[in-house]
Amino acid sequence: MGKWGLLLGGLIVWAVDFFALYAIASILPGTSFVARALAIVVTLAALAADAWLIRFAWKAAGSAGDEVDGWIARTGLAGAALSFVSVLWQGFPAILA
Amino acid sequence: MTSETGFDPELYKRFPTREERPDSEVEELDRIWEAPRGWAFLTVVNNNYIGVFYIGAAFLFFLLAGVLALLIRTQLALPLNGILSQEIYNQVFTMHGTVMMFLFAVPMMEALGILLLPQMLAARDLPFPRLSAYAFWAYFTGGLFFFASIFFALAPNSGWFMYPPLSSKIYSPGINADLWLLGIGFIEIAAIAGAIELIVGVLKTRAPGMTLARMPIFAWALLVFAGMILIAFPAIILCTLLLELERALNWPFFDAMRGGDPMLWQHLFWFFGHPDVYIIFLPAAGLISMMVAALSRTELVGYHLIVLAILATAFISFGVWSHHMFTTGMPRLSIGFFSAASMAVSIPAGIQLFAWIATFAAGKPRYNTPTLFLIGALITFVIGGLTGVMLALVPFNWQVHDTHFIVAHFHYVLIGGAVFPMFAAFYYWMGMTSRRPLSERLGKWVFWLMFTGMQITFLPMHLTGLMGMPRRVWTYLPHTDWMATNMISTVGAFVLAAGVLLFLIDLARNFRFTVRHDAGNTYGGGTLEWLRAGSYSTRSIPVVRSRQPLWDDPDLRDDVDKGRYFLPFSATGNRETIITSPVRAEPQYLQILPGPSVWPMLSAIFTAGFFLLLTIQAYWPAVFSGVLVLPCLIRWLWDTDRPVASDHADVGGGIRLPTYSTGPGSHSWWAVVSLLVVIFMIWLMTVFSWFFLYGVHTYFWAEMGEPLWLIPILGGYGAAAGLVLLGRHLLARKDSTLWSPPTQFLLAAGALMFAFAADFIGWRSAGIDPEASSQAALVMTFLAQQGQLVAVSVIMALYVAVRNARGLITRPRNVTFDVVALFLLYTAGQGAASAALTRLFPGGF
Repeated sequence: MGKWGLLLGGLIVWAVDFFALYAIASILPGTSFVARALAIVVTLAALAADAWLIRFAWKAAGSAGDEVDGWIARTGLAGAALSFVSVLWQGFPAILA
Repeated sequence: MTSETGFDPELYKRFPTREERPDSEVEELDRIWEAPRGWAFLTVVNNNYIGVFYIGAAFLFFLLAGVLALLIRTQLALPLNGILSQEIYNQVFTMHGTVMMFLFAVPMMEALGILLLPQMLAARDLPFPRLSAYAFWAYFTGGLFFFASIFFALAPNSGWFMYPPLSSKIYSPGINADLWLLGIGFIEIAAIAGAIELIVGVLKTRAPGMTLARMPIFAWALLVFAGMILIAFPAIILCTLLLELERALNWPFFDAMRGGDPMLWQHLFWFFGHPDVYIIFLPAAGLISMMVAALSRTELVGYHLIVLAILATAFISFGVWSHHMFTTGMPRLSIGFFSAASMAVSIPAGIQLFAWIATFAAGKPRYNTPTLFLIGALITFVIGGLTGVMLALVPFNWQVHDTHFIVAHFHYVLIGGAVFPMFAAFYYWMGMTSRRPLSERLGKWVFWLMFTGMQITFLPMHLTGLMGMPRRVWTYLPHTDWMATNMISTVGAFVLAAGVLLFLIDLARNFRFTVRHDAGNTYGGGTLEWLRAGSYSTRSIPVVRSRQPLWDDPDLRDDVDKGRYFLPFSATGNRETIITSPVRAEPQYLQILPGPSVWPMLSAIFTAGFFLLLTIQAYWPAVFSGVLVLPCLIRWLWDTDRPVASDHADVGGGIRLPTYSTGPGSHSWWAVVSLLVVIFMIWLMTVFSWFFLYGVHTYFWAEMGEPLWLIPILGGYGAAAGLVLLGRHLLARKDSTLWSPPTQFLLAAGALMFAFAADFIGWRSAGIDPEASSQAALVMTFLAQQGQLVAVSVIMALYVAVRNARGLITRPRNVTFDVVALFLLYTAGQGAASAALTRLFPGGF
């Protein structure tokens, strides 16, 4: 499972972030301060998780034992980076609303 | 090199072996894998037959839906046209969309997977050949019956997304909507069966050495495609079930007067519907990636980024469903999140597009028919993608919602993203299943007619939409200025159809089905499907050392043909393939595959009969058909999971593998877990419905359930789980009696029945009336789901007991025993969670 976790970690962070934002916006409809603040907190937490994953995958890519491990680490690293951008982008509506 | 399973990768160095192999081995393989003849041919299960049947059926539905499209365009060519009546027009556009989405696009991708995947992985077949046959026959018989409804003017007529209240009993009193709801729900079951087959196929039947980093992109795409089906399709199964229950039993899930809400349908439908677009696109993108590299005669640029893009598209596609609902008055912040996600999904799509363009640029492409179709696909898909980003912008979306702009957009996406790649694939892979390749000369005509026809049809349609013409209208008035663009679109549709007709002529002239004497590698591909193959796939299963093995090892084809790799013979005298590990594809065990059987086909026909007879309200024949499914399924399964004479078998190169495996290493375990994911998702969507309806109509909700009932309910489910675990423990103990393990399962089934009965009686004693409110209707839905699981659990426990009596439950571990244990445990867990949720929320906490 560890390999799959490394490969999909960033995308899982994105999914958790998205559904948390959806839940916040649905439970607290409108653009109240509480809803926006909660959304920003969730976004920051997801960005932190992505940053940690990027660091972890970077190290794993550097110390990979063979082709498969290296490939999984590099793909996971790119996935975490993509997730970082997407999570950040997705947080903007809470800031701008 | 590290190992995933304990297998020593140094053993790969034994291959290719050098000793000569006797011809008798090939003769035996031919005999074992030969397809039945005469009428028995219908019972064939080999993927190279079922795959072709499946593709043929899906293409037939493409043609039928295409004819409906021509009728639509003819009707709209002129204002106040009267070619079709209003009612028939409604049926025609509903069936066009429904058939294209449900009977063509998704099944075609599954069909291509069933045909190509085992060959690309150099597996002898998919791991559950009979399941493939079942999926095909269920889809084909159900699809034909469903389509036939249009000849009786009984076809669905509420649009391919069947929005209530239009599709509710009050506005659609006939059986048209029932046909859609039961027909589509059933066809999705066939799709899920195929998806489970593909997931296990990709993860467990790859050739040794074909690690995740060396998998063909199409295999990656199919893995993600099938995973998405498991997550997305339960939503449509649930919403069709809920609407049918509302129509048949007056349970008000979508009736706002009794606490339901039509928006619930839209959420559930689009949670399936938008990912479905990517479910169609991703396998096609996988095909494009394979063909772009082969036709450019170079390695695919950005392999790992393309894999990432496929994975990212799958994830993000589940966060965009509400962009179909921007005009419904959703919370503003929520709209912002969905808009952002809808734009973000263009990042992975862009990664793939740039990788394909870079591959073309880096290689030396020849401008043959498949290349032309690929370039046409890229151009068309980019246009559709750009209008997609426009539609993600909320203010623009508001302006063009439900206009012909949307129709133009999604046809660009689907024709560019799936139909053109499919035609490219037909030309590219035809040499694998036909004695002759298709004609290059005719193919270029086919392409240019289809490409220009497509652009002429749909480019002006953007303008029609921007000028305000709504979708799904039967006709329009002359003074609206929509006539010119509509006429152009109609001319384009007939040009497109001429291209398809020419393709049929090419097909008739050149396609000659074969599994042995095929035309071969016409376009010089480098992946394993181009190894010479017979009914048993390749003579031996190679060790994979790169992503394009045929390019990197010129001797590979001959070595495989001469049996110098794994499994050059039948090790046990049965149909077999090698099961490998999910990450590194290390050989784990030898799987014995079932052969031809009539039972999957009969099971499929009777399952189809059950659902489709219900739609015409022939209740007793439907029940009779449903009852017949059970003996057919049991008879089908009875032949499987038999004790094997020898624990281990030589698979070539002096390597011996086990002939049996249980637990997470076994392919059956993966299949059952996949099935449980589907069941869990149906349940999770019901939980979503529970909270959604509570959130929008809180004032209808009350504390209805008595929490004290949880004591016997949770006690019963807890006891069932404990008994299952005890039974599994006892099976592994040498000193347990013959009957003790299955007895625990029978007792567990009894405990499940007790807990379910307590749940049901508890609600009955509370005087619950499912017609009175959506809350009560949802409680009954949870109970209905649980009742089905308990019924299946009881049948499974009895099945294990009977197999045990016949000495078919092997010890200390047994696959059937394991998978039944998983199912029973899940049933107990879901039952407990449903009971707790409905009794404790709202008010019980």
